[in-house]
Amino acid sequence: MSRFAIRLFAAMALLCLSGRAQQPRGSVQNEIVIKNAIVMTVTRGNIQNGSIYIKNGKIEGVGKTVDAPASATVVDAGGKYLTPGIIDSHSHIALDEDVNEATSPITPQMMMIDAFDYQDKAIYRGLAGGVTTSLLLHGSANMIGGQAVVIKHKYGAGRDAMLFPGAPRSIKFASGENPKRVYGSREQMPSTRMGNFEVQREALVQAQDYMREWDQYNDKLKRGEKDASPPKRDLKMEALADVLRGKLLVQIHCYRADELLTEMEIGKQFGYKVRAFHHALEAYKMADQLAANDVGIATFADWWGYKYEAWDAIPWNAVLSMRKGVRVAIKSDSEDFARRLNQEAAKTIRYGGATEEEALKMITLNAAWIIGVEDRVGSIEVGKDADLVIWDGYPLSSYGVPSKVLIDGDIYFDRTLPGYGMPHYREGE
Amino acid sequence: MKKRSQVIPEMGSRFLAPLGMIIVMGMGGWQAAAQAKPVVLKGGKLLTVSHGTIENGVLIMENGKISAIGPAASVKIGRDARVIDATGMTVYPGFIDSETQLGLTEISAEPMTNDLVELSDEIMPHMHVYDAFHAESELIPVTRLNGITNAIVAPESKDTLPGQDSFIQLDGKSAEEMVLVRDIALPLNFTGKERRNETWEKRKFPQTRMGLAAQLRQSFLDAQDYAQRWADYEKKKAEAANKPNDEKDKKQPPNPPKRDLKLEALLPYLEAKKPIVLAETEPSDLETAVNLAREFKLKFVLNHIHHSQPVLDYVASLKVPVIVGPIYEDPKDYERYDAVYKLPAELYQRGVKIAFASYEAHNARNLPYAAGYATAFGLPYEEALKAVTLNAAEIWGVADKLGSLDVGKTANLAVANGDPLDLKSDVKHVFIAGREIPMTSRQTQLRDEYGHR
Repeated sequence: MSRFAIRLFAAMALLCLSGRAQQPRGSVQNEIVIKNAIVMTVTRGNIQNGSIYIKNGKIEGVGKTVDAPASATVVDAGGKYLTPGIIDSHSHIALDEDVNEATSPITPQMMMIDAFDYQDKAIYRGLAGGVTTSLLLHGSANMIGGQAVVIKHKYGAGRDAMLFPGAPRSIKFASGENPKRVYGSREQMPSTRMGNFEVQREALVQAQDYMREWDQYNDKLKRGEKDASPPKRDLKMEALADVLRGKLLVQIHCYRADELLTEMEIGKQFGYKVRAFHHALEAYKMADQLAANDVGIATFADWWGYKYEAWDAIPWNAVLSMRKGVRVAIKSDSEDFARRLNQEAAKTIRYGGATEEEALKMITLNAAWIIGVEDRVGSIEVGKDADLVIWDGYPLSSYGVPSKVLIDGDIYFDRTLPGYGMPHYREGE
Repeated sequence: MKKRSQVIPEMGSRFLAPLGMIIVMGMGGWQAAAQAKPVVLKGGKLLTVSHGTIENGVLIMENGKISAIGPAASVKIGRDARVIDATGMTVYPGFIDSETQLGLTEISAEPMTNDLVELSDEIMPHMHVYDAFHAESELIPVTRLNGITNAIVAPESKDTLPGQDSFIQLDGKSAEEMVLVRDIALPLNFTGKERRNETWEKRKFPQTRMGLAAQLRQSFLDAQDYAQRWADYEKKKAEAANKPNDEKDKKQPPNPPKRDLKLEALLPYLEAKKPIVLAETEPSDLETAVNLAREFKLKFVLNHIHHSQPVLDYVASLKVPVIVGPIYEDPKDYERYDAVYKLPAELYQRGVKIAFASYEAHNARNLPYAAGYATAFGLPYEEALKAVTLNAAEIWGVADKLGSLDVGKTANLAVANGDPLDLKSDVKHVFIAGREIPMTSRQTQLRDEYGHR
């Protein structure tokens, strides 16, 4: 037994002594079999009366039957639907009022983790809606905002346990009305779309200069010039340099078709790739170009008309774009939608005729791809994290409600429990 | 007091006379667009709401009304009728959204396209949404394509008394046709959000709930005084008119009081002729607002009450309907995740009549899904359906014409390829006053323009 496991046992013994009936966090029941479920794998169709074998938080087996030791804890899903945990590829929860550092249009050095409020109950409410992973983004006030944090909704497990281990870094860009309005209302640049893109290019040019200065310095060192003095370190420029080096996934808030094209063009000029456009409500007007560049979109199912650049939004956007080959995710961008993303995804069945699997993919695997964690989560496959939802009712309907939500093989939400329904959390602890 | 209560109706009728005329004018939509010939929906599953479900039913619409409904075998179809095969479809009454801002907004962030609320004062009962209602709004076709045929249009809730609601039909040639009932109710918002205290520097009265309540009370008292002044005047005038002819020289008619539209607007509500829509979210505000309504003997329905779970028995004891929701309102941090989702079921179990509202404009089309979702938290399906049809019609006093599939009612109905409360179902036909609505909107046009490129 590893030292870690021993510590865990000790911790559990203490908890038992303190009279706590529920299982402690970091469950020692590291082998679980969920049986008798309709398993919606996302990648390999549905398995009627299927089982999943979970070991140490990972999916070890999926099928009609699974090979599991008799000692494994068995959870009978009672014939219910079982899906991967929902992934929200655009969220601003748990960031208090710190979503926008709206004091300059270029703030790539902002780290959302510095604002991450792991106690925000919105994380719990998302969890109860089946969300297991979220990309917490800077807001859209700035053309280049801050760097995102990827979390798992392990409410009650503590801050560090909630960070998605090894998730790639993402940075938020914006465009269109928001930066224009924020700075335009202060009579600053940018106040137009010309200004928007100009401040973006300007910043990227500065980053190129910064990289050159460092390259020259490093060359001098290589040549043995001992008196070479290093350039001043600049966090802002370092972050942008990482964009240019392709070290950050670029997530761009963008609505209008022409701006989607311009952003891709700027990316090409400066040699970085756009990972995904967020909102992208006019993607249906130029979806083949998005597909050709392998740029995903994280969009709303049917939200529209809240501003002028959302006036041409149509609820068929997701499916029309998908049919052209675009990787489409449905995201929340709101504490409210995050609680029922399954319903938002179901709307794509009605608007445009997405299949069940296509609809589900928009809140699981495609969202995982946008965040860059598609090899870890987003489908029910051997080797992936055991982030799972057992549903009451059919998940892609008005009636689907999560019954149990597991993250890394551990139950974090159980609708049948009293209070908040969280085995790992009690108020006041 | 007795005197006053006798006088007010007299006074009210004087001012309601022109208003009554307006209502009649606004009633055009009830009989709008006479159908060319009878339309028959044949073979569908009919959710009548009032008398159960009819499998393989027939429904006939004539002259804008439902003229027959029943099992296929029992309904005779005339030879001249247009027959629509509804086999495999579900036919149901058009949904009624009990609070929207339809026709008052086009693009939320563009001020010039919004006429949502007059913020110059908190007491604005003389604002009438029909004055701003924009019949050509692109939002209306978008909404009705999802089977919503009628709605309350209310001003935004930033004032305690933001103005009077209208009841609309989502089809018609003009605002006049579409606004079926003008000034149907008066919202009274008491949630704390009506306070004018954005910043300390900009503070002005009323900055607190005390201020809001005092201001409301004073307004109602002023309106009562105003009614009394008019009553006194009418009395004096009558006395003068009745004086014998020999006192002709003394037969001077008294001067009428100055008219005040704001106070006048409150009178039908003080006479309990029309309902106040009493909005609050938390128990303390709920009780304050209810006490205020009782003090002035107002007729009221409750609105929202998202966070009033601890006092639901009290709510039930009031014996008034509740416009509940939106059920998607975030719970408070101290509440369980489903505290608001469960509210419709909790109210129903206590015998409270409920209706759903989207409280939306652009997203009003999603009203049916809120009703559906409430069933996942314990509300029986039939009750969810009622809460967007017959209950709403009863609450708004239009149940003789709307809310169920019954002979004689206005032919406002929809046909979907499945359960109308489920997200996956597609609405295939919508009829409003018997007219088949083209299934197009600005959004379908954009879809068709770009979808095939």
